Amino acid sequence: MSGPLLQSCRACGHVWQFRRACCPACATAGPEAVTAGGGGTVWSVTTVLRAPLPELDVPGGYGIALVTLDEGPRIMCRSEAGLAIGDRVQVAVEDDGMPRAVRAGSELEDACGG
Amino acid sequence: MAYLTGIAVTAFGKHPGRGPVDLMEEAALAALADAALPREAIDGLISGYATTYPHLMMGTVMAERLAIRPRHAHQAQVGGATGAAAIILARHLIAAGACRHVLVVGGENRLTGQSRDDAVKTLAGVGHPIHEVPLGASIPSYYALVAARYLHETGASEADLAELAVLMRRHAADHPGAQLKKPLTVDEVLASKPIATPLKFLDCCPISDGAAAVVVSAEPAGAAVIRLAGWGEAHTHQHVSEMPDDVGVGAKLAAAQAFETAGRKTADMRLLGLYDSFTPTLAIFLEAFGFAQPGRAGIAARDGRFSRDGALPLNLHGGLMSFGHPGVAGFLAHVVEVVRQMRGEAGRRQVKDAPLAYCHADGGVFSSHAGLVLERTA
Ligand SMILES: [Zn+2]
Repeated sequence: MSGPLLQSCRACGHVWQFRRACCPACATAGPEAVTAGGGGTVWSVTTVLRAPLPELDVPGGYGIALVTLDEGPRIMCRSEAGLAIGDRVQVAVEDDGMPRAVRAGSELEDACGG
Repeated sequence: MAYLTGIAVTAFGKHPGRGPVDLMEEAALAALADAALPREAIDGLISGYATTYPHLMMGTVMAERLAIRPRHAHQAQVGGATGAAAIILARHLIAAGACRHVLVVGGENRLTGQSRDDAVKTLAGVGHPIHEVPLGASIPSYYALVAARYLHETGASEADLAELAVLMRRHAADHPGAQLKKPLTVDEVLASKPIATPLKFLDCCPISDGAAAVVVSAEPAGAAVIRLAGWGEAHTHQHVSEMPDDVGVGAKLAAAQAFETAGRKTADMRLLGLYDSFTPTLAIFLEAFGFAQPGRAGIAARDGRFSRDGALPLNLHGGLMSFGHPGVAGFLAHVVEVVRQMRGEAGRRQVKDAPLAYCHADGGVFSSHAGLVLERTA
């Protein structure tokens, strides 16, 4: 597990997620790859009870959150149940490549299977 | 100057055995008849796309089917905003002197031409292929994230949003071509099965078969003259992950440009045709444009503001939520209804007087916006 991968502008310090050759804020080329610390705040969250693919459907649904990372960017994550807008969370990217958000301070290892 | 001279919409719902080209052909021929134009007068054609027939050259496919040889033909593609953007592009083609009569047409068998799972999967693909789609996000879940944020920021309730679904169903009841007409209550919306919280099944528009077409011309035709007085677009992001903090900002930018080009104000509008893929879409639009106070769109709907006899009648055909949503034709149906109302041809749905109207659609997740101010000048 690690923090989400981001890009950071060497000129203005702006940080973002989606891969780009140039900084979206100042257009400077050649951003630096950085790993987020994982701390963030829930900007919005939903529980999906009707998945886009039947094989993704799980009983009780699964959470998807938009989390504003402390570094600045807002990223989409799977989220543990019960999160609300404004909650502090810790985001980690697991072996399957999926970022998962759990309530800050909870045990990352055994939380958030879905 | 550009005028909306021909309009047509098929019934929305199920058209088993008919493909996108069949449906678009029906709407296109009806729009030409409505404009009293011969086929050969069409020198520009902008078609939508069809998820059930993802062709590279739908514009030419339609020109061939209609047996016309336009000087300009292509397929436009900005999701739900396609119809609105195509009408604006038709206006630009006319303003540039490139065309005199542009046919804008959209339609598909989105309901019967594929499985529901395929439809949901295709639509989910507007999300980011690495950072969103693999997480199991769907179109309703993208909008659910925006809806949850909207409710959080404004203090509006899910019952308030439900009022908008109820209103659309009430309006659809008076249109013979609407897909869903059974009366609906707020409680039924709230009790419908959850899709992606806070959205329930009845907060979402249906999937439909159908088609619609609009002819945009350099000169007016017919007794009632409907001018495309103002137009505006804004494309602020594609993915919900990168949407601006103000979820209404793209809508505001496009509308501001539309009102500016028309030389009109929000308060001048007397009729609305707004994209309503989900109840929060409609609420966010109504509030972004200033047609309702922040968080109050649903309450205003309940109080009659957007009803046929209200101050700002909205989607009198029932909108995407109840008239139906076959993709590109979905918003074109809003334009067809608005023009019909402005001409005074809406029968028992007819509003008293609507000399000025605003129409607006978004594609993606509030990503692409296109707005039209329509004015009756004679
Ligand atoms: Zn920069």
